Amino acid sequence: MVKIYTSICFALFLSVFGSQTLHANTVVVKGANSMYFAFQQDTTKAKKEPVTFSVKTDTIGQMIKALQKFKTVRDTINIRSATPVPNLSLQQVIKGNLAGVYVQEPNGEPGTEQSIIVQGASGLLFTKKDMYALQPAVYLNGVPLVADNPFAFDVQKYDYNRIGPATNLLSQISIDNIQSISVIKDPFELAKLGPNAANGAIYVTTKNARAGLRDISLNSYFGFVTPPAVNTVNGVYENNFRKPFYQKYATAENYANYASYLRDSTNTAYYGPSNWNDIYYKTTPTFSADLGITGGGDRANFRFFGSGTKNAGNADDTNINKYNLFFGINMAPFKWFTVSSSVNAARLDRTRNRSLRDRFAETRYIPDLSSPLSPNASIYEGFLQENAKNVDNNRNTILNGNLTLSAKINKITISSSLIFDYNEGVRDYFTPSTLMDGVSYVSNYFGYSQRLMLNNSASYKYEINKKHTIDFEIGQSFQGDTYKYNYARAYNGPNDYVKLNLVDGNSGNDDYLNTLAAGGFYVFRYIDKEKNNLMSFYGSAKYSYKNLLDLSALVRRDGSSNGQPDSRWVTTPAFSATFNLKEQFLKNNTLFNSLHLSAGWGRNLRIFLDDRYAAGPQYRSENGWFEEPTIPGYGGRLGINRPYGSGFIGYGIKLPYADRTNITLDASFLNSRLNAAITAYNRDNKNQVIGVPVPFETGYSLNYQTGMDINNKGLELMLNGVVIRNTKGLNWNTTVNFNCNRNKLTALPNGLTELISGDDKLVVGKPVGSFWLYSNNGIYNTNAEVPAGRTFNGIPLKAGDPNWVDYNGDNRIDNKDKVSTGDRLPKFVGGWNNTLAYKNFDLNFNFIFALGQKAINQYEATRYGFINREAGNDINSVKEVSSWQVFDNEKTYPIYNPWSDVDAYRVDQDLFLENASYVKLRSVTLGYDFGKTSLFRRSGTGVRRAYLYATAMNLFTITKFTGIDPELVNYNGYYDGANLTIPRTFVLGFKLDL
Amino acid sequence: MNYIINKRNSLYKISFAVFVLLIGLGNFSCKKIDDVQSTRLATEETNWKTLEDAKANLLSVYGLLRSATVADNAHWLMGDLRQGDFTITNRADLKAIVNGQLNASYPVINRITNWRPYYAAINAASLFIERSKEIQALDPRYTKINNDVDVAQARMLRAFAYFYMSRIWGDVPLLTSSHDGEFVKLGRTSQQKVLAFATNELLAAAKVVPFRYGGTDPIMPGLYYGANWPSWNGIVFTRLSAYIILAHIAAWQGNYIDAANYSKFVLDNQSTQYFVDGANPLDYIDMNALTENQNNYSPFAYKRANLMVGFPFEAGNGLSTANGHIEQLTLAYPFIPKTRPEMFVSKDTIIKAFTVPSDLRFSINPQTGLYRTNYFYGVESEQPIFNKIKVIYPSNTSGNVTLFSSSMVFSRMEEITLLRAEALAVLGQKDDALNALNRACALRGFSFTTATPDLVAAIFQERRRELMAEGWRWYDIVRYNRIKNPQTVFATKGGKSMTFKEFEAAGGIYWPVSQDVINANSLITQNPYWQ
Repeated sequence: MVKIYTSICFALFLSVFGSQTLHANTVVVKGANSMYFAFQQDTTKAKKEPVTFSVKTDTIGQMIKALQKFKTVRDTINIRSATPVPNLSLQQVIKGNLAGVYVQEPNGEPGTEQSIIVQGASGLLFTKKDMYALQPAVYLNGVPLVADNPFAFDVQKYDYNRIGPATNLLSQISIDNIQSISVIKDPFELAKLGPNAANGAIYVTTKNARAGLRDISLNSYFGFVTPPAVNTVNGVYENNFRKPFYQKYATAENYANYASYLRDSTNTAYYGPSNWNDIYYKTTPTFSADLGITGGGDRANFRFFGSGTKNAGNADDTNINKYNLFFGINMAPFKWFTVSSSVNAARLDRTRNRSLRDRFAETRYIPDLSSPLSPNASIYEGFLQENAKNVDNNRNTILNGNLTLSAKINKITISSSLIFDYNEGVRDYFTPSTLMDGVSYVSNYFGYSQRLMLNNSASYKYEINKKHTIDFEIGQSFQGDTYKYNYARAYNGPNDYVKLNLVDGNSGNDDYLNTLAAGGFYVFRYIDKEKNNLMSFYGSAKYSYKNLLDLSALVRRDGSSNGQPDSRWVTTPAFSATFNLKEQFLKNNTLFNSLHLSAGWGRNLRIFLDDRYAAGPQYRSENGWFEEPTIPGYGGRLGINRPYGSGFIGYGIKLPYADRTNITLDASFLNSRLNAAITAYNRDNKNQVIGVPVPFETGYSLNYQTGMDINNKGLELMLNGVVIRNTKGLNWNTTVNFNCNRNKLTALPNGLTELISGDDKLVVGKPVGSFWLYSNNGIYNTNAEVPAGRTFNGIPLKAGDPNWVDYNGDNRIDNKDKVSTGDRLPKFVGGWNNTLAYKNFDLNFNFIFALGQKAINQYEATRYGFINREAGNDINSVKEVSSWQVFDNEKTYPIYNPWSDVDAYRVDQDLFLENASYVKLRSVTLGYDFGKTSLFRRSGTGVRRAYLYATAMNLFTITKFTGIDPELVNYNGYYDGANLTIPRTFVLGFKLDL
Repeated sequence: MNYIINKRNSLYKISFAVFVLLIGLGNFSCKKIDDVQSTRLATEETNWKTLEDAKANLLSVYGLLRSATVADNAHWLMGDLRQGDFTITNRADLKAIVNGQLNASYPVINRITNWRPYYAAINAASLFIERSKEIQALDPRYTKINNDVDVAQARMLRAFAYFYMSRIWGDVPLLTSSHDGEFVKLGRTSQQKVLAFATNELLAAAKVVPFRYGGTDPIMPGLYYGANWPSWNGIVFTRLSAYIILAHIAAWQGNYIDAANYSKFVLDNQSTQYFVDGANPLDYIDMNALTENQNNYSPFAYKRANLMVGFPFEAGNGLSTANGHIEQLTLAYPFIPKTRPEMFVSKDTIIKAFTVPSDLRFSINPQTGLYRTNYFYGVESEQPIFNKIKVIYPSNTSGNVTLFSSSMVFSRMEEITLLRAEALAVLGQKDDALNALNRACALRGFSFTTATPDLVAAIFQERRRELMAEGWRWYDIVRYNRIKNPQTVFATKGGKSMTFKEFEAAGGIYWPVSQDVINANSLITQNPYWQ
């Protein structure tokens, strides 16, 4: 099927190309239009674009309008101030700059996954799979980008990183090629986008082809990421840290088991100089260059864009190389017919960190951890030299684009577009035997995600009379997604030079193609593939009464192959209304330039990322256990059984949906010097599926059922003002966006009011991101202080144990004494962006903030719980080289008995709960435009802009958080200190528009 | 321009036609939504249809039960630590088990005290018993005898799971059907009832299952799922397996008459798997097979008839794992690259347990001072390495790959022979008991004489040596104390000393059940000893 579509697409693409030559010579060349260029430099006022573009040619203007799907959206990024900031990913660009959008950047390692949550979480936040399901759709020129499918986590033991390159695919977009980025939160517009946009949508439009003589822009920057200031420590510090625990509680046996690496204080490996940071953190160059060319005439024009970027991290030699090519053409072979097409291609090559945890998580193989990495640079250098034998290729190749045909016949407009997105990830990983106690490891991953979409729509404008108009639109779309991966991991190759598993290719031999044949690697293989089709039909009508009132209604019917057969087709409506208050009541008022009140309601179907819900009761090959999750079968034969481990799925699973209500009041005052909008929203995510615990005697841990409802409501404020306006002097433009969100679980299946899910508890009425913790109330210094008979989960409490609050007064501290508290997600997010301009100088500074979220400081919990950590020899026992440091604002905790059976430093207590709110100065840019100087003006070189700038990023953070950076908290609200720091970056760059 | 205008009409038509055609290709059919079949799972429409489905579903019952028993090394943590021979080097959770603090708050303890995995195997067995007969009507290759034998195996496995669980938790909920798709909530059933159910199931199954699969056994001749006896031995449960489990249930209940009879049946029928159908024979194993992975006999390193009740992990089938084997707990340098084992048998314990100078497993030559390293390496050191079982990928006795492929061995010839000796000794048949005991240790370099003062004690001491780290120690201690009923202090709780009888009456011999289990089903009560 794919082939048929593709070939038709290309045939058509080519045929149009052919006819293009026919018309190219007839195009009337138009001179440059100064107003037009001015606009190109400032794309923030997205509203105005269509006006500008439709200056002369209606045909292409029409088409551009179609691409600019959201004309009424106010919530856009200030592209002009965003381009000089050396961000890599889309998430970084929008962080703090779109109202109601919360971006998590839990790792400073370039190209790692980041999360976007629009107007609060619509689902759970406990596993990485949950996070994937919360992400909004990102549209690039109308292409809903396909994301990695979380199904790969099914074969993983640890979910720190998805297998494969695990690169943030939204790094593919180059900011210099972007015309606008807006977030779609309007219920009606989202309903129009359909199920893809159930979690909201980010709509990215690249600069596109348009008429004009020529337009060349060349941008480049070069700069450095800088190492953080580090207070390193060595074994002496660690030894002193442990002393009080031993003095207070240790027995002779405990002393006998003292950590072996700390025993010998003459051992320079641990007691020598601690200077690992000299080679771990480095000043690293980061640079980028790109070129954009736009040209053509009214009836045929094109744009080309190419860029190359190297984005570096400041730690552990991490970086990513990004190459991006974009090509777009628009044609109007006839006045009634336009064709436009764009293709975006990107390649991402990522150099990943060399941390032990990530390596062991990939290899699923934990060697003896009793001797951690030395803090000494010369010894650590030896480790890095062995690391140099690693192979770690992470490559993503991305190709997406669209072909849109649009015909306008009288009052009917028909358009059809073919949309495709294909991304492929390859990872080859090899680690030599010297790094894993004599066992080499190799893994290979190949995976792709593919989306093909065909949209058809027809619209008709019916003008009843001058006052009344109705726009009708009907449409249909088909979307086919395919996800696949092949993954193999293997151990113990013949030597460190053989990095491939060779099989016997002679079909006559017994070991023909046998991957497990003696002498080779010990191989484990995984293959998975999943398809998900979506078919949609919709019809909408918009009624306009003069310039006063707009009423719209939409009804759509969507069918998803990931829904159960009896409920996979769902009809959903949406409505919206806009009332022009200015026109109605304040016609002659000079204060207000415009005042609108609009309201909308819409329902969006949300489709499952996983096809297992569609199957109903099913059988899978799930034979393993916690430590060995992927046991393939028994006796050399594959076994199938009910999914006891992952949970039962029965019939009656319905597709979830989101109901949204929005009310917006927007106004502009004082000759448009001040623009403000305030929005109140309410979203109900209903019918969501959740695993409900069942009696374990049934063999299952969970039964997946429909019926979890989550409500998010909040307020958003956007303010854009010109504080100082002096045509010849100082100008100050400021933008504030602010979101306040309240998340609440409103229902659970079967009328349950609470539900325990692993270490978390969901309580109706509380935020889904709540932590579930014991309340710590100090320490029992003596046995006498312990209330008689008090137990912790059956264990008598003793001196040196924490004093946990016994809420129910039964003298037994257990689950019933845990309380739901805090929230993983912030209550307030937003940003404050300022531009000061004086003559040709401008200065931009951007603050971002997220307030009200809490985090568990797991890093400190494991540091204090060193006894259990070191005894375990599991993934949590891994001590990275970066842990040989202390932080200024580190908190001190009570000295509990670390040998106690109650696990005194357990993470599920409020002792480690911290406020992770932050305010950051995200970027400062100082620029000077030589293009406006008389030098360039007079020369007649046609230089429109020659902008030289310097940008500094991440200059400072205001926070109470005691870890390195409150942003480095993992998606699940735990700060484990394993993620690399977000670097301070300084770049110098120029932007040249010809 | 004119050129275009003239051409317009015809182009208009052609282009419009192309355009409409393209939209037409959008294909409005709903088939694309309804015909997407998952390739990642089997549904009710696709399962229970063919011979292969029967095989896959049956083997999963084995697989699930294997996972239940070995997950987090539970078989050994529960069997060998409590009052056992091992000393823990560093791990606090293991120390808690050795010290009898079985409700200590550690993730491993929490997981192994959750009985869900056993019930998963039980549910899969029940489902197989209920559903597999559907296949008979649909696939002529799936004969009635094949189905009967398969169902009998599922019943054996389910019974074994119940016996295994009730040794750990005492009273456990008894579910005898799958309740597929419903989630029933049941309280605990008395251990007596559970074991009676298991006994009946095993007796019924024993009448059906053959001594050998895929061979010339008259009960079920011919290939079994296309494979012969050498490929099935050590993998699936045979009629001998059924009687071994029966004997153990009887012994656990103190019913030594039945234990003696069932074990007799097993030993009398050794010939059914002794050099027949091209497989390695069922036999007593020598030291090479016991500790050095000798190919033809070792029940640990290979799937052999000697693995009478147990579950293999063959490296060649991609089943070598890090967790789920005793080696993960006991091995260290020089066997694998690990500085210290997680547990070891101290020198004192070794000397106490291995008293016979000619014991091939461990003994010190009084003249030279040299000792045998088959069981223990580095006895002179503080932490000797227990290396009796060492199956390092693929079946080496040492190596760098810390993936292990040793089987979970529940019973082998020595074990069932010692159980028979125990039964006979309790029943007072001293000569037969002594014969059985000597038969069991015949390949260990020594024998017992009629002058042995306490035969029961000698048998249990021999079990302790022979079955060290095979998950038996704690259950042997329980049976021994039930036989002897000593009046000495067995355990103390909250400062109160208890004899074994008091300890057992208080429920102390059983493990607490994980709080997660109680949270999920309010009808489950905590074991009184751990409340």
